[in-house]
Formats: sequence, C-alpha cells, structure tokens
Amino acid sequence: MTTIAPALADPPTTNPPVAADGLTLLAGDRVLIDRADLRLEAGAVLALTGGAGAGKTLLLRALAGLPLPGVAQAGQAHVDGRRLLIAQGGRMAPQRPLALQAADVIGHHLGLDTSAALRRMADALDRMGVPAAARRFDLPPDRLPDSLRWAALFALAIAVGPAVLLTDAPAAGLDPTVRLRLLHRLADWARESAVALIVAGRPEDGLDGPADQRLALHGGRLLPTPADPTPLPAPNPARGRAGTEVMTARSVTVSFPLGVSPTGEERRLTVVHPLDLDLADGETLVLLGETGSGKAMLARALLHLPPPTKGHVAWMGRDLAKADAAGMRRIRRDLQPLFPDPAAALDPAMTVGGQLATVLESLRPEIPADRRAHRVADALRAVGLSADTATRWPATLNPPEAARVGLARALIPEPRALVCDEPLATLSAEERADFWDDLLTARDRRRLPVILTTERVEEGLRHADRALVLLMGRVVESGDADALLHHARHPYTQAMLSAARGEAPALDGDAPSALRPPDGCALRLRCPKARSFCAQAVPALEQVAPGHQVACHYWDTP
Amino acid sequence: MNPRSDHHTRRHGRGAAGLALLAALALACTVAPLLSDGAAPLRADSDPVLTALTDGRGSLSFALLSGLLGAGLGLGWAVLATALGERTERRLMAAAARLAGLPLALLAPLGAGLMGGGLPLLALLVAVSAAPLVAGLAHGELRDLLRREFLIAARAAGLSQGAILRHHLIPNAVRPLLAAGAVALPRALAVESFASLLGLGLPSPVGSWGATIGLAARLGDGLALIPAALLLSLSLWALHAVADEALSLAAEGPHGGAATDARA
Repeated sequence: MTTIAPALADPPTTNPPVAADGLTLLAGDRVLIDRADLRLEAGAVLALTGGAGAGKTLLLRALAGLPLPGVAQAGQAHVDGRRLLIAQGGRMAPQRPLALQAADVIGHHLGLDTSAALRRMADALDRMGVPAAARRFDLPPDRLPDSLRWAALFALAIAVGPAVLLTDAPAAGLDPTVRLRLLHRLADWARESAVALIVAGRPEDGLDGPADQRLALHGGRLLPTPADPTPLPAPNPARGRAGTEVMTARSVTVSFPLGVSPTGEERRLTVVHPLDLDLADGETLVLLGETGSGKAMLARALLHLPPPTKGHVAWMGRDLAKADAAGMRRIRRDLQPLFPDPAAALDPAMTVGGQLATVLESLRPEIPADRRAHRVADALRAVGLSADTATRWPATLNPPEAARVGLARALIPEPRALVCDEPLATLSAEERADFWDDLLTARDRRRLPVILTTERVEEGLRHADRALVLLMGRVVESGDADALLHHARHPYTQAMLSAARGEAPALDGDAPSALRPPDGCALRLRCPKARSFCAQAVPALEQVAPGHQVACHYWDTP
Repeated sequence: MNPRSDHHTRRHGRGAAGLALLAALALACTVAPLLSDGAAPLRADSDPVLTALTDGRGSLSFALLSGLLGAGLGLGWAVLATALGERTERRLMAAAARLAGLPLALLAPLGAGLMGGGLPLLALLVAVSAAPLVAGLAHGELRDLLRREFLIAARAAGLSQGAILRHHLIPNAVRPLLAAGAVALPRALAVESFASLLGLGLPSPVGSWGATIGLAARLGDGLALIPAALLLSLSLWALHAVADEALSLAAEGPHGGAATDARA
C-alpha cells in the first residue's frame, strides 16, 4: 500500500521539514513511544532502526499524520511540506498496470496529465537505475520481480517529489547487493533534491550505510544508535590450522528435470555446476552467495539429502553413494546438519525430547535405552536450554529456542562435522550474537570442521577459515577468509562486502533468472568490469595468490 | 485480543456448535419413534415434526455410511497416487480434478434410475460422487506434508524409510487426512437428499428427508415440508461446520504447531 498523505501547502519557513518534540504515543495507558525528539533538515537521511515491535511503524505513521486507530498522541510532531509514506511491504494495487498507477498518483499530487506523469515517472526510474529495457510500464506490480517493484515504488515517490519521504522497511527481503544499491540511489536523490528522508527497519537490514543520521528505537525511547554492541571478531588465522582432509567432493552437480522441450530433448535446471570442494579437519569453510547461488543445494548434496545429480562426495575416504545402510548410518552420525528454519525441521507431533531420543536410538544404538533421557537432558543443557525443554512441543518454542534445539539435535550423536545451512536465518540481530557464541563454542570445544552457508558475507568470513563465493551454481572466488575479507578480487565478492558494510555496491540491476542464465559470465549484465569477451566464455578459476582463486576475465583491471 | 485469535475463537465456536447440533439431531432422531403412538406413521395424519425426525434416522445413517465409504475411497485414491510414483500420481490426480469438476450429484439418481436402485448400489454411487473431492484435498495435504523439512531432518538422523513412515509421516498425516475425509459427509447427505427428492433415492421403507420434501412438494403440503427441509438444512450446515473446523485444525497442526510454515 502506498499511503499518500494529503498534500499540504508548502509555506516557506525556517523550521526543519521534520520536527518532533516530546512525541508520545499511547495505547490506553501503555506508552508505546516515550517523548521522542527528532529534527531532520532538508536533504538529510535518517536511519531509524529497532527490533520487531519497537514502534518504528507507529512513529512513521504519526509523522505522516496517519496515526493508527486506538493510539493517542501527545507532544508535538511537525512535518512541513508534502509528505509521502511508503508503508511496510511496499504493496501497490497488485493487478493494475504500473503506468496507470503512476499516472493516478502523480496526477493526483501534481495535477499532471497521463503523458506528463509518465515522462516524470520515466525520469524517476532513470534515477533509480532501472534500464529502459526493463521498464515494464504495462505490467501490473504482481508480475514484476520484487527488486523492480521496489525500484518502481521509489521512482513513484521521486516522481511525486515530496518534501519529506518516510519509508518503512524499504526493500526488505531483497538480496543485500540489490537492496543497498536501491537505498543508496534513494538517499542520493534525497540529498540532491533537499528531501528529508527517513528509512526505518531492523538493525540487521544495513540501513545505517546510506544514512547521515542514525537513531534507534529501544524500549519506546528514541536514542542515538549505539556503537555496534558486539563487534565481529577478526578472523583468527592461528585457529584453523588445517589438518588432514575429511571431506572431499568431486564434480558435484545438482540439477532438476524441467520436462521435455518441444524438440524432444530433456531440459534440466542446473543449480550447482560441477564443483570440487575439500574440507580439512578442524576447518570452518563458509559458502557465500545470495539467493539462487546454489549454496543451500550444495550443502544438501554434500549430506546426500538428496544426493547430487552427478559427481560424488566422500567422508573420511568413504564414498557416500557406495555406502550400505549401516555405513550410511555411521556417516550420518559423523555428519550432522543445521537447518535454515530450525522450527520447521522439528516434527510438530513429537516432543523435543522424543525427537532427540529418536536420533540417539538411530545413530547411537550402543547407548542403552534407559540412558537416553539422561543424554537428552545433557545435550539440552549444553546448548543453554533447561532439561525440561525435553517435554515441550516444538510449536511452543520461540525462534532462539528452536535454533538451540536444532543445535542440540545435531550435537547429540557426537558428530565429527557440522553442515550448517543459514543456521541463523530466523534470528534477530541480538539473538544472532548469542547463537554464534553457542555454535562457535561447540565447534571449538569439539574441534569440529564446519561447513556454513550464509548470505551475510562479512559475518561469514569473520567466523570462517576459508570461503567459497558462489554465483549461480559456480564458484567465482575461493581463498582464506582473511584474504577475501581484505583483498577480494571478484566484483561479486566486492559488491557483497560493500553491501555488508552499508556502502553502495558497484553492481547494477538484478540477478538473472536461473532458467535463462546469460551466456558466458553470469555476472556480466550487472558487472562494472564487463566487456564483450565476458559473453563468450565462462571464466575459469585462476590462481591470483597462493590459495586464492578467482573466476573473472578481468579481475586484474581496475 | 488480536484479530487473528478472535477469528480463531469464532471458527472454533462454529465447529463446536455444529458438533453439538449434530449430536442433538442424532439423539432426537433416535428417540423420535418412541414418542409416536406406536402405529405406523400414516403420513396424512401423523405429527409432521415426529415424521421428519423419524426420517432423519434414514438420512443421517445413510449419509454416515456412504460418507465414510466415499471418504475411504477418496483417501485410498490419494494415498495410492502419492505412493505410486510421479507419473501415475499426476494421472490419478488429474482424473480426480476433472471428476470433481463434473456434476457428480447426478450420478446417484441416474444410476439408481437406470439400474433399479437398492441400498448398496445407491451407497456406492453416493460414495463415488464424494470421492474425487476428498482425493483432491487429501492429496494436497499429503504433498504438503512430504515437502516438510522435518522429514529431511529425520533422514539426516539416519532413520529408515519405514521408521520415517511410522514415527513421522503417519502421526502427522492422520489429522489432515481425517479432515479431508470429513468433507465427504455433508456431500453424501446432499447427494442422497437430491436423489430421494426425485424419488430415486433410498428405497421406500426407509424414510428420508429428501423423499419427504419431494412428496410434500408434490402434494402441496407445506406443513410436512417445513420440518423436513429445516432439519435437512440444519444437518447440512452442521456437517459443513464440522468439516471446515477439522480442515482448519489440521492446517494449524498438532499441539498448536503450524502445519505449513513455522514463521508464517
């Protein structure tokens, strides 16, 4: 929903466009926002962060003059000039073509006719970096990719040209490189056009990067954003002194049948192209990539859940494909996964204790049945849960508890390696820090080799020894975590790192569809270094430094 | 109270009301013959309410019988399709979807008219008319279940296919499958009543609301028509309410757990 507050007259004043003095919001006798003070000059960009339920939406709506029913307001809130609120989710009328919606909104605010409104919208889309070919004016928002829909929404706001633009969780759910690019473009426009811009979102959304001022909502108070409470540790090169190789994967390929083409040949969607991977004892290997990079499918293929379409995986020299039932069970005992949604990975019809006991029964049959309850209680305590969690049903667990139960289940058979697929995806910023501690403690205490997939590049690199960067199912860069963190060579790695630091990534546009990948390098349509040769050959990995490989034709050009 | 829990309460209330109404109807229909004076109810001069309640025995017990048969057929269809592999599954379920789109309610009067009726044949025809719908619903539930992440977690725990079936699949499949099966009951009652209305339903010694409504309409006897029509509509509403409730409970999952997505 694009909520457009009534256009107000724009009297020349010396007041800042946004000013709140002791703004208090109450629901009954409960204080939701407590005496918030806020001043925002024209051309300033404010990042307003806060966890779930911190009151970001309430504050934005109060500033937009659209308070929620049942919420009483005390104190002062002035907004001068035309204000626009882009509400959470960024929804537009789903079925109405974009051109008509743009003409309606721009016509309503500026009194322009359709063609003038569309010209303005086209200019605004240029500002948002939407290439002319991608401008699907005749399509309804439902049929646009999410990134284009957000770009169109921002362009609509730019075309209207408000004095104050309020955005609630802008570009949420997009890949970091795409999200940060859009937010930086919006912030640049606000600075050049002297528009006061507020971007509100969760602390982990990286909104601080494009902003000039940062405020955080905590316990109803609006405070300056504290310095990062838990600075990420520097990668510790001494920690992961690699031992012998425990896992090897050769030419692992994952593809899915897409049916038969009209010419009779079988079509397949390849999500992981032939890829080799080694994991040494005691080493943490991180697989980095955004949506569609194939990191999750690769992690599953390494566990044979399901087995790769081609290629083979060996654990301690034993090929998983050739193992019999008993052998496979021994391998499963050694190799335990963590799932991206820990709650969904628990059977809702079985208690936590029952599920952990089932794992013991299956993977540690030598433990007598009457010792299992004791082991389950120990495993739960080891991850910081109370022993009576065993009697609870999975639906009663909150996300951090579910994540810990998942960790307890993975550790209970005393595995020799962990394969973690985005294990912190469901957790908020504070919960992540705690869970990292638990995961790393378990890793270090047992000297476990770990494979970890994540789209949070900086976080992943700081906790890992070595990294593979994946793009559309191919490795584009691999090397030591420290080398990648400070001397990343591939434009994709560099862009992901920029996005993680809140800077504007140098990539344009969106990731191409896996169904129609571009010829040659998969990044070439977004890459600042792309030349015509990039379309002709898929770049192969080449060594750029000892242990550091890059797949880019022009990695050495500035 | 947030709107979602409010909605939940209202829905639970509806299911409970439906269940209570069904129980009351079943009780009333069972004791109704004891309240009559013992003489065979002559339709022209007997109490219309008592007659309608007596008819309810036939309608409700036949709906239960053929509904259970239809539910069994539909569930068997869905389970078989899921178990037989992708190709057969696609064919069987496409057939179910096509059949569910046809006016299968006509099957019962048509078959009874052509083949001379009889209770077993009618029960089978009514069951067949309800089965495709049940099969479609049950198949959807099974497919959803098979995609769930905890089954992959069970494989990672080294469980065999049989153990996964016993410990995880069957306990989680029972509720959604029963709920899908419950949809057959109101459908069976409706189809039987429709056939009986046309005079092609339950054989004459067995009374039925549809037959009474049909007869009363032909004789222009509004007094006999109203109680039967009222009881039939009440039963249909109650059966639908119970089936809806069962489906929504199945979607919620056991022990308050989300059956589809934990963070939805």
